[in-house]
Amino acid sequence: MNDSQGEPRGGISRRGFLAGTGAATAVAGVTSELAPATAAQPGAAPAHGPGPVLLQLTVNGQKVNTNVEPRVTLLDALRNYLDVTGCKRVCDRGTCGACTVTVNGRTVYSCTMLALEARGMDIRTAENLGGAKLDAVPAAFVDNDAQQCGFCTPGFVVSLRAALDKNPNATPEQVEAALAGNICRCGTYEQMRHAIVQLCKKGG
Amino acid sequence: MAEGWPKKRRILGTKVKRIDGPAKSTGFAKYSYDINRKGMLQGAVLRSPYPHAKIKSLDTTAARKTPGFKGLVIIAPMPLWLVVKAEGDTLEIKSIPNKKKKEKEIRRTVKVTPTVTILRANKIVKLADLKVDDQVQVEVEQDVVGRELFFVGDEILAVAADTEEHAKDVLRAIKIEYQELAFVVSIEEVLKNPDKKTTPGPQPGNITPGKEFFKGQAADLEAAFKNSDATAEGTYGVPVISHQCLETHGLVAEWDAEGGLTVWASTQATINVMNGLAGRFNIPPTKVRCITHYMGGGFGSKFAPYPEGFAAADLARRAGAAVKIMLDREEEITTAGNRPSAIGSVKIAGNKDGSITGFSIDCHGTPGFTGGATVNLGLLPYIYADGIPTFKRIHTVAYTNAGGARAMRAPGHPQNCVLTEFAVDDLAGKLGIDPLIVRRKNLPPNNPKADKISWAGRRNTVYNEQLDLATKLAGWKEKWHPPGKGKAGTVKHGIGMAIHTWGGFAAGGATPNECHVIINKDGSVTAESSTQDLGTAQRTVTAIVTAEILGLQVSDVVVKIGESQYGYSTGSGGSTTCPAQAPATLLAAQNARNELFKKVAPKLNADPKDLVIEPGKVVDTKNKKEWAWKEFCARLGMDEAKGKGEWSLAISNEPGNENISSGQVGGVQIAEVLVDSETGVVRAKHIVAVQDCGLVVNKLACESQVAGGVIMGLNYALFEENILDKVTGRQVNPDMEFYKLGGLGDMPKITVHMMDMPERGVIGIGEPPTISTAAAIGNAVFNALGVRVPFLPLTPKRVLDAIAKGGAK
Repeated sequence: MNDSQGEPRGGISRRGFLAGTGAATAVAGVTSELAPATAAQPGAAPAHGPGPVLLQLTVNGQKVNTNVEPRVTLLDALRNYLDVTGCKRVCDRGTCGACTVTVNGRTVYSCTMLALEARGMDIRTAENLGGAKLDAVPAAFVDNDAQQCGFCTPGFVVSLRAALDKNPNATPEQVEAALAGNICRCGTYEQMRHAIVQLCKKGG
Repeated sequence: MAEGWPKKRRILGTKVKRIDGPAKSTGFAKYSYDINRKGMLQGAVLRSPYPHAKIKSLDTTAARKTPGFKGLVIIAPMPLWLVVKAEGDTLEIKSIPNKKKKEKEIRRTVKVTPTVTILRANKIVKLADLKVDDQVQVEVEQDVVGRELFFVGDEILAVAADTEEHAKDVLRAIKIEYQELAFVVSIEEVLKNPDKKTTPGPQPGNITPGKEFFKGQAADLEAAFKNSDATAEGTYGVPVISHQCLETHGLVAEWDAEGGLTVWASTQATINVMNGLAGRFNIPPTKVRCITHYMGGGFGSKFAPYPEGFAAADLARRAGAAVKIMLDREEEITTAGNRPSAIGSVKIAGNKDGSITGFSIDCHGTPGFTGGATVNLGLLPYIYADGIPTFKRIHTVAYTNAGGARAMRAPGHPQNCVLTEFAVDDLAGKLGIDPLIVRRKNLPPNNPKADKISWAGRRNTVYNEQLDLATKLAGWKEKWHPPGKGKAGTVKHGIGMAIHTWGGFAAGGATPNECHVIINKDGSVTAESSTQDLGTAQRTVTAIVTAEILGLQVSDVVVKIGESQYGYSTGSGGSTTCPAQAPATLLAAQNARNELFKKVAPKLNADPKDLVIEPGKVVDTKNKKEWAWKEFCARLGMDEAKGKGEWSLAISNEPGNENISSGQVGGVQIAEVLVDSETGVVRAKHIVAVQDCGLVVNKLACESQVAGGVIMGLNYALFEENILDKVTGRQVNPDMEFYKLGGLGDMPKITVHMMDMPERGVIGIGEPPTISTAAAIGNAVFNALGVRVPFLPLTPKRVLDAIAKGGAK
């Protein structure tokens, strides 16, 4: 499971935000920075949106800027506005894990986080594990053929890398548990287990 | 007769890593969904919210004024018309009748308003620009009023906007009214009121009644049921399920200034998409380029442009910008195909020696509102039809107001397998014998007239060998116990098996599949084909075959696939891609090699006949000389050596080519399960899959694909089902949290054994290994409990219900 699940991130949820704006009322627990201004809140911070707002992120070590509406998720900001497409949109509601990225080192389903919530944060996607030097995790997926169509694979790879970073001595069982929030349709789980064993032998 | 596969194989059949593995696992591979073109617009589709309705009114005025609005198309065919008169605000047009179809000319007069769109040569034109006899397409938005919609999700129109967010705003601003009509989403209701018609198609009601098929005479069957040692009866069923491709259906479309169309499509058939779009927009196929470099799963559901693809291309031509439409998850599940259900009442009779004496089945299934052919229950009794002396079957197609079916991985076979193999084990239970005995006894015989290396000529022998291997790998002898008679305890252990077959073909069809291999003067090698890699490692197959023939390493070959301009290739269906493309690549590489020898030999005072390739070099066997590969290729000077390979069904059937590619395989699977009799939860512990597949090209990918098939079968057995609400007609689980798919923690250990039969050439195995898994798991649960859980998925409720009816406590 992604370790951010079930824990409040101190921000607001996508659903909560949409419900709040839909009803044109302030949402309980919203940080002042993002709270929609209403007549009931004199002196509240200026409203964001509905038009585009400046979004600054650090993605895979590079500072990037774009403008997105407040309703845009982190996933959509990365894919549609920043052309970072290693995170995939599959279920778009926090079930399948294909959009998994790390935000300040913690795994997050990027479809369940608003882009503005991640302002100024350090975002890492699967691309961070490739390029000039292939990280041991995707390398183990390649060695063991733990991917077919490959659409779920970047999400699995990010989750697995984060699990091993958190606990370099994790057992295969612990790593499997860390991947419970990711779904593969082609059925590459048997080969994934081979990859996990290879990685655990190496100590991450 | 072709030269064939090399006798000594250096790379073929070994474990080769996917050449695109690093790009795919780190997100650098660009799938169609990932394509972002400059100035690209985002599309979205307006769909019926009702299972059956008529459109009463449509008003797009507000939608067209919504910020970011860039275009709107009605989703409907757009025939060509001829202009008769274009004056003032009135356009008069006449149809272009197809004389072969004896169509009559239709005339129409259209008052041109802002919601009427006229296109000539794929460009929007004004009425004033038209001349008599111009060929035009005319879209009258109000024509949509009165259209009948047949399922929740039925396409009405599509819009484009500058952002996805705005596209959704535009959809929300459309004012549309519906007249709701009577509908049916449950198969039981269809059977109760067979004359009630709520679906399109030629059938008078919602049913296409089946025709009874008999082997033997009615009296024989009656006698079998009366006189045999035991009979078993049961009603078994499998649900409608979705393909759940992780990359949804859709494409990005972009027109160029010369009227050419490029699409990045998530498809199993680049050539079909090219032809489909060319036909739709009345341009030659050579002006359409379909690109599918990477593809996120299809499983049989992605063979055409489909409504969303046509709409994206249409929006793009009108807007003069690239347009992307990819379905969202709900659209993917409810509109992009399904595997039809099957429910069958079965009676089976047999004797103590294990022989099945008679079999009858009355079954039905629903494909949704269309796609009746994919129900395909005509294989019953599966596997054993040749072995059983007398049987009858009848199957009925029941149409419902749900999204239509499309082929899904081994269409028809998983359903046929469950309906037959459940009955076989129930009969074995009644006879009090090991179901392995029943299977061995009723296997189809070898056909003495068929070629000895063909499937028909050796199927009995192969199945018996597979049963030997599978039972040994699974520990059948030690682990099998009579149904419900395992060790005491609340968690029951069970083991079950099932058998499958798959026809397949030795190539894609009549049109030859092409591959082109080019050897350059610097020794670099490129292999080109329009074939697509769905996750089957077809890109790597192309590299393996080319490298094998040219004495190179797999990494030395640059593979360019997934682009329609590289010549014909078959759509990836029926497990025919590898048997069509690997031989085409083989021939291309051999022809390129021959061309290289012919061009270079004179420069080296050698005879091409004396030249052979060895790893990394070319050897003159007569003059005992050799050149490193690059050194040899350098002699091409400013030239290059090209080879084309072609492979079709007809070529594969030529004498002497039976060792190059084949169709038809069989497989045996054994599942071991643990069933918690208190919670009803079924866990698969171990699944053994023994599969024959001819000449193995890449053992690593082959094993991975078989394991993947097993897992898809396990999901079918335990988790998946499209559940429709009878009151609203909507699917209640069009998502990934309530439409269940197993995760890593749900997976058993999977043991794959590939039976290598190189003498049969290459055979595709995408489909076969997913067929028998669900039946094997269902039989293992029967073995655990001593009572049949008759319907898939085997949910805790169904298991507990079955136990309550008298299973193991």
